[in-house]
Amino acid sequence: MNPVAAVHDRRGESALTARRRRIRIMTNAFSRQTVEAIASGDPPWLRSQRLAAWQTFEKLPLPTMRDVEWQRFDLRALKLDKIGVPDSHATISEKLGPLAPELARKGVVLCDMRTAIAKHADIVREYLGKSIAPGEPRKFAALHGAFWKTGTFLYVPSGVKIADPLEAAHEFSGHGVAGFPHTLVVLEPGAEATLVQKFIGGPQDGANGVPNIHASGTELFVKEGAHLHYVSLQNFAPNVFDFTLKRAHVARDAEIDWVLGMFGASFQRYDVECVMEGEGGTSFMYAAAVLDDHQQFGQFTRQHHKTGNTVSDLMFKNVLRDSAVSSYAGMIRVEKNANGTNAYQANRNLVLSDKARCDTKPILEIESNQLRCTHGATVGRLEEQQLFYLRSRGLTEGQARDVLIEAFLDPVLARIQVESVQKEFAELVHRKVVR
Amino acid sequence: MSTASDQLLRGQYKEGFHDDLKIVHKVPKGLSHDVVDYMCDVKDEPRWMRDFRHRSLDLFLKQGLPAWLPGLRDEIDYNEMTYYVSPVEKSARRWEDVPAEIRRTYDKLGIAKEEQKLLGGLGAQIDSEMAYHNIQETLAKQGVVFLSCDDGLRQYPEIFREHFSKAIPPEDNKFAALNSAFWSGGSFVYIPKGVKCDIPLSVYFRINAEQFGQFERTLIVVDDGAFCHYVEGCSAPVYTTNSLHSAVVEIFVKDRARCRYTTIQNWSTDVYNLVTKRAFLYKSAVMEWVDGNLGSKRTVKYPSCYFMGEGGHGEVLSLASADKGMWQDAGAKMVFYAPNCTGRINSKSISGHGGRASYRGLVQVNPPAGNCRVQVNCDALILDERSRTDTYPTMEVDGDLATVEHEASVSNVSEEQLFYLMSRGVKKEDAVSMIVNGFIEPIVKELPMEFAVEINRLINLQMEGSVG
Repeated sequence: MNPVAAVHDRRGESALTARRRRIRIMTNAFSRQTVEAIASGDPPWLRSQRLAAWQTFEKLPLPTMRDVEWQRFDLRALKLDKIGVPDSHATISEKLGPLAPELARKGVVLCDMRTAIAKHADIVREYLGKSIAPGEPRKFAALHGAFWKTGTFLYVPSGVKIADPLEAAHEFSGHGVAGFPHTLVVLEPGAEATLVQKFIGGPQDGANGVPNIHASGTELFVKEGAHLHYVSLQNFAPNVFDFTLKRAHVARDAEIDWVLGMFGASFQRYDVECVMEGEGGTSFMYAAAVLDDHQQFGQFTRQHHKTGNTVSDLMFKNVLRDSAVSSYAGMIRVEKNANGTNAYQANRNLVLSDKARCDTKPILEIESNQLRCTHGATVGRLEEQQLFYLRSRGLTEGQARDVLIEAFLDPVLARIQVESVQKEFAELVHRKVVR
Repeated sequence: MSTASDQLLRGQYKEGFHDDLKIVHKVPKGLSHDVVDYMCDVKDEPRWMRDFRHRSLDLFLKQGLPAWLPGLRDEIDYNEMTYYVSPVEKSARRWEDVPAEIRRTYDKLGIAKEEQKLLGGLGAQIDSEMAYHNIQETLAKQGVVFLSCDDGLRQYPEIFREHFSKAIPPEDNKFAALNSAFWSGGSFVYIPKGVKCDIPLSVYFRINAEQFGQFERTLIVVDDGAFCHYVEGCSAPVYTTNSLHSAVVEIFVKDRARCRYTTIQNWSTDVYNLVTKRAFLYKSAVMEWVDGNLGSKRTVKYPSCYFMGEGGHGEVLSLASADKGMWQDAGAKMVFYAPNCTGRINSKSISGHGGRASYRGLVQVNPPAGNCRVQVNCDALILDERSRTDTYPTMEVDGDLATVEHEASVSNVSEEQLFYLMSRGVKKEDAVSMIVNGFIEPIVKELPMEFAVEINRLINLQMEGSVG
């Protein structure tokens, strides 16, 4: 091809083609009636939240490749109109626990969202939808907001420190169905907890048929001096389109340590944000993703420093093989008068195939002047020298490659403070890396 | 740090005056195909150029702004602008032939005849037309061509047509279309094979008219193995209304050739500076952009290197200083279409007195590129709590074709550094000045001496009263 022509064709999509690309949604399962059916039995405040979210969903157009954030992703394979009635109870089974009886006596609550609304309405009402509001202009978060049914509720009262990790596994099943788990975590001042969430399952018989849609929302409130270690693993079967939104609010002297793993699903859009709301707050956000085949991952992170003297650190590491596509966009946003902010952001990509495609866009928006903000992004290959070194020690080329890939992701795994979870995470990586 | 508004507040934006010039040609304000026809008639242009201009105007009217570009949507009233104003009949070869009043303008700006001794060639554009263009005898004898772009079209139609709009077609973006419709002035440079043009060719752009759009067009062709250094500067009077400067600069660096393009942009704070600059690099070519942005209301400019031949090397050194009332949206692009190329972007920005400095960049690696390396470094210094700085880099890599590295940092003038200097008896103001000068030094040292001196002077001026 004439390279000059290629230069201009890349983005030269005409408005007409874009309009053709725009998918008209004929929502059958997704309608106001089904929202109302879902809401029957809900308290009125929750019902109005759902309807508000549904309004937002209806108002927003489906993202297309014309939208800057979506230019690598084609959602045409997602057939919203072909998806069955979105009752999460039927499609997601949850396993929570274990919660020791003495913790329950101290007031710790770990239960599914339905129980939470029935038994702990006051607390739930105080926090639910306060972070991910029904009016938030995100198409799939709004869909989630209207239809979520299952999910996890964790409440840790002031000063209660939980040493053992709590687990919440959400298993997705069925074909051409939707799942919308919601997670709400509240750590009262001085509380400590570890929550490990697993998002697994999906259609088992290969990548045929209508894809499942999975949209989850996670709201985390870490109050004064509290400490949350939050681990989340996503390992869906192929043929799942996953939309994830996680947001943490970090109060004064509080800390959140995130470790996020992304391995499955054919498409994933992952939004993860920390909002630093009190002095002395800290967020360490670490993530690892391994993509192969035709997997497409979009990762959007936001470190939002509303208050000064806060620290946020972020490291997203991606390994791309085959025809995988990844697109990372990370924002560090420092508001006016958030002096004393210290923010760091790193996105490292290892590209192992000539057909893979990798974009990275680390963004800084700074309106304070007493601070230190840095970011770094790299896209690269395995170092020949390192491969040579390992091969000279007797490893085959494949073995050497695997060792280096696992070593590349190791700094993320090392952030997991629970040994058994770390092992499980490592196992997932290993299974995906070694061929 | 710069500049225009801040100096103006203290009466120091010395370029902020305007002169009453006798106007030879002027069109009524507003965009229209009639204006295009009028310009073509005045310039006596060939048919293909007239068609090109009309087509470009249609494209401009049809095209929206790129989705990634914030602002500018309702800011500019294109129909309030005047698209062609010329105080001169034709470009003079001798300084004496330039109308006396325009000579006086340039004398006030310090573009005196003496400076010509340091330069290989000098050009001066006022409003829409080049008032003066001349080149040293010795260079002319070697076949170096340095003309106004309009004269380039007239005198070298083959080279002109072969390259014109090939790097930046009017379809590229809205402002390129606008320029393509109304372009006037700018330079046409051709450096023949193997000729090393060691002394810089320099052009000064001046806007004098009010609510005016300046659309200079520069086309530089550096043939195989040749070298050229092109330097441009600019300024405008301070009015209460806005003006628009939308240039297109196309550079073709052929096999093993090298080109350096230096800009010191110091528009007044009522000028929208929306510029498209792009260089095509062929086999083993070297392109260096040195881009200093010190003025304007809003600058949107990302000098680009497009690697079309194997083994090219591109560099962008970008210095932006955003003062009160300014938004410097500057950056760089590196786009690879060939293997074994390397690129480096080094950006430094300072924002103070409520200014906003944004780095926006693109690194894109496309097949058949391979084994390419790009390194991007952005450093931003933010001087007070009213100011803002952003970094918007985008890296798009197709396959395992490249190693791309990006690093950016934002910081303030640290207490520690200040304390260290002040404990050595340096006044606080001088200490801040020293730190800022040290911060931009890696870029300033790449500038021609006269420009480096000028920038340091501007920065020091701006530092006055910035501490307290």
